[in-house]
Amino acid sequence: MHTTDANILATAVGPHLFWLASRAAGIAALLLSSVSVCVGLLIGGRLVKGHRQELRVTHEALSLATLAALGVHGVTLLGDAYLHPSLGDIAIPFLSGYRTLWTSMGIVAFWALLALGLSYYARTRIGVQRWRRLHRFAALAWILGIAHSLGEGTDAGQTWFLAMTALAVAPAILLALARLLDSAPVARAGNSNAIARARDSAAVTRAGVAR
Amino acid sequence: MKPSARTAEQLDARALARRHREAMRRRARRIRRSVAGFALALFAAAFLVVYVQLASGNDPALVANGAKREAAALSAASDTESSAASETPGGGEQASGESSSSGSEASSSGASAVTTSQS
Repeated sequence: MHTTDANILATAVGPHLFWLASRAAGIAALLLSSVSVCVGLLIGGRLVKGHRQELRVTHEALSLATLAALGVHGVTLLGDAYLHPSLGDIAIPFLSGYRTLWTSMGIVAFWALLALGLSYYARTRIGVQRWRRLHRFAALAWILGIAHSLGEGTDAGQTWFLAMTALAVAPAILLALARLLDSAPVARAGNSNAIARARDSAAVTRAGVAR
Repeated sequence: MKPSARTAEQLDARALARRHREAMRRRARRIRRSVAGFALALFAAAFLVVYVQLASGNDPALVANGAKREAAALSAASDTESSAASETPGGGEQASGESSSSGSEASSSGASAVTTSQS
């Protein structure tokens, strides 16, 4: 009796296995990227004192895990019998006919995350300051990914999915706000210091000329 | 005396630095392993949730598709019913003569049936 039930279940779920795996990988990528963004913001901000090395390793590992999950999310979709997308459909934006805007948003987010994430290993070549400025766009790619999951995700209408997304996204948004509020006075102070320094140097130059 | 003492201190410092580096490397390895485990657990949990949802017949996409299919089947059935109904009492002008004649035949046969049962 039990084996018959199991067989019926397997037959019913069998054709959807790739689709299920893709959905699961997408959900895992959403959560992993959210945690990674949180850790990244903790490193960049001044909320956590010490343990920077551990946080950096955690951020790196989470980012790589996110990229792996996104890879699985796309590749398993290739095996889906219902959608049956081509490699171009899942890799090139605006090529797929299935919910083109949302799909393209996800593809762009993936490429951006891949480029911005892997650029970490070339940061000395790029220049550390420039790389840091570039790396901030990873948060934008993350937001694109969230929009993709809410706009196209099969489970986007489900309460558990919305609650899970809110739980994952809220801390990152709070940390980003905290960082913005924290960095604004510093930036303002930096600007005023620079202006003061420029005034001083101009005054010194004028005095030199006058002599 | 002094140079040898300094060398010993330097050696100590180097050994300490090496120990620190090794400890950090061990911690990094442990962190990477736990993140990999966490990612796999997350994937497995998400797969289980979606699987159970599908197996229990509550999958949002399949439910929506099923509803659409049912609606389409219902509308198709109602279309065929209405077309059949329109055919019998004389919906079209061409069919009106045939249907009226068949209707009269039916009514006459019905009347004969009633009469036979009565008799």
